[in-house]
Amino acid sequence: MNIIELRHVTRRYPDGFTALHDINLSLEPGKFYSLLGPSGSGKTTILRLIAGFDQPTAGEILFKGRDITNLPASRRPLNTVFQNYALFPHLNVFDNIAFGLKVKKVAPDEIKKKVERMLSLVRLEGFGKRSVQELSGGQQQRVAIARALVNHPKVLLLDESLSALDKKLRKTMQFELRSIQKQLGITFIFVTHDQEEALAMSDEIFVLNDGRLQQSGSPSAIYDEPVNEFVARFIGDSNLMSGHMIRDFEVEFGNHRFECADAGIKPGEQVQVLLRPEDLSLVEPAQGKIVVDILSQLFLGDHYEIWAKDDGGFNWLIHTVEKAPAERCGLHFAPDAIHVMRLGESESEFDQRLSQYEEHEK
Amino acid sequence: MRKLGKALYLVFAFILLYLPIVYLAYFSFSSGQDMVHFQHFSWVHYQALWADKNLIAIFLQTILLAILSSLIATAIGTCGAWGIFRLRGVQRKTLLVFNNVLMVAPDVIIGASFLICFTALGIGLSFWSVLLSHIAFSIPIVVLMVLPRLHDLDLTLIDAAQDLGAGKGLIFNQIILPEIMPGILSGLFMALTYSLDDFAVTFFVTGNGFTTLSVEIYSRARQGINLEINALSTVMLLVVLLLAGGYLFLTRQHDISLGARS
Repeated sequence: MNIIELRHVTRRYPDGFTALHDINLSLEPGKFYSLLGPSGSGKTTILRLIAGFDQPTAGEILFKGRDITNLPASRRPLNTVFQNYALFPHLNVFDNIAFGLKVKKVAPDEIKKKVERMLSLVRLEGFGKRSVQELSGGQQQRVAIARALVNHPKVLLLDESLSALDKKLRKTMQFELRSIQKQLGITFIFVTHDQEEALAMSDEIFVLNDGRLQQSGSPSAIYDEPVNEFVARFIGDSNLMSGHMIRDFEVEFGNHRFECADAGIKPGEQVQVLLRPEDLSLVEPAQGKIVVDILSQLFLGDHYEIWAKDDGGFNWLIHTVEKAPAERCGLHFAPDAIHVMRLGESESEFDQRLSQYEEHEK
Repeated sequence: MRKLGKALYLVFAFILLYLPIVYLAYFSFSSGQDMVHFQHFSWVHYQALWADKNLIAIFLQTILLAILSSLIATAIGTCGAWGIFRLRGVQRKTLLVFNNVLMVAPDVIIGASFLICFTALGIGLSFWSVLLSHIAFSIPIVVLMVLPRLHDLDLTLIDAAQDLGAGKGLIFNQIILPEIMPGILSGLFMALTYSLDDFAVTFFVTGNGFTTLSVEIYSRARQGINLEINALSTVMLLVVLLLAGGYLFLTRQHDISLGARS
């Protein structure tokens, strides 16, 4: 059974601004979910609705099939780790973590045991008496996680919880969060605008833009098969061109026709074509599908980032492990490296089309 | 050079401000009966003060009034500040303006209006009428002291407490109150000094049975200067100094317990 479900959730503010348009989400227990989108996309609004700090204008929120839309935040079996951590400044580390248990009138020795266990889970043994203001950002973050987890929530909500940390610490915390989640088997809902973070940590990602759900799926599905230009641009680097379909499995862009892996689109229709930079390789001009002139190349440690211009004037971004062999090269890519996207196609239409022509193939 | 000038200016200003007080305290130790010639050092006026049971009773009444009125005003003012803080836009601005008008209105007008109000309502002039008016004029200052603290309050703390299962009462007692305590303490001490200080309002609303020090001193001073008053003023100055010191100590303790907040 789904642990959290949002059905046709809309949030409109009194000034007429609509933060969320008809959002539908289903979350299974024990998984790590990310809500990914640029600022203002509505991801934090969704989190606040699930936590109970805000109420939807329309639609309902279900917890294990039970409607909790109007249940106050204090009575929902889930806890939040806030963006700024929101630790209580007048309480020490121990009392911060114990707050939720004290509210529930748990016996003092039981509280002590549980808090100690949490401190060791987040690797802060012996920090109980410290003032929270003496702690570093990473330590405060871990106190915030412990304060939420000590209540044994069924779902943990994390609001941009890593964005205040420096890059190295962020990587460590990503790893720790993931291992805590695996260890406890709690559903995590993680809000972030950092696509790398979402790709690295999640079982499933929900991509949002302008208060609308753009796409949901596993990190690899979203990276490999973005449904539209927004998702393609937001997640990873991309080469995007407009073109049109010739027939099933053949598309034209940049005045060339190419074999591709997409079908179910009527011939002549305007489409967007996406090629990921790492799916491109540089070969002898005669062997390439397109001939390009190298403009610049940067060595980034694990790969080269190469910019090249084709005869039609399009600038290609290419990631390779080897340097470009010559000033003028051929560009090679496999048919399934070409992702064809219809303009304005929704995720469900996309899924439907995909299943149609896949059946047709068989 | 500019620094020296500044320091000299400050010293000059403080001398000017404190000179009358020091002059007054100085003559409280004179054995004479006027403030023209210092005779020789003596405690005679302090002895007279100690023997003046009436004056001591008034002194204690004044303190009781100050403590009671400031405590009640702090409670009401804190709730009021919370109420204003929760409002938005025009409502909030209107209430703040009303609050500030009370702050800047001359005491004489406030006193007179209380007098009119009490007589119209048929409330006798006594300790209670003075207490009521002291509470009333202390509330705005408490509101002004508490509001900035509320503005500094991180609202996600309230979300966090709610998230951890706390109800409204618990959130106010355990999260909001400790956060705004420095503002409440400032308000309390300001209200205390306002009440101790007040002459004009009390003068209007006090009746036969009750009087405060400032009113009593005023009425005595009209019959000629008595150095017993000097002695009393010196004692009060010391009390106020102690109070101010206590306030400094308390707020610093609070800041230390909160750690350096920056």
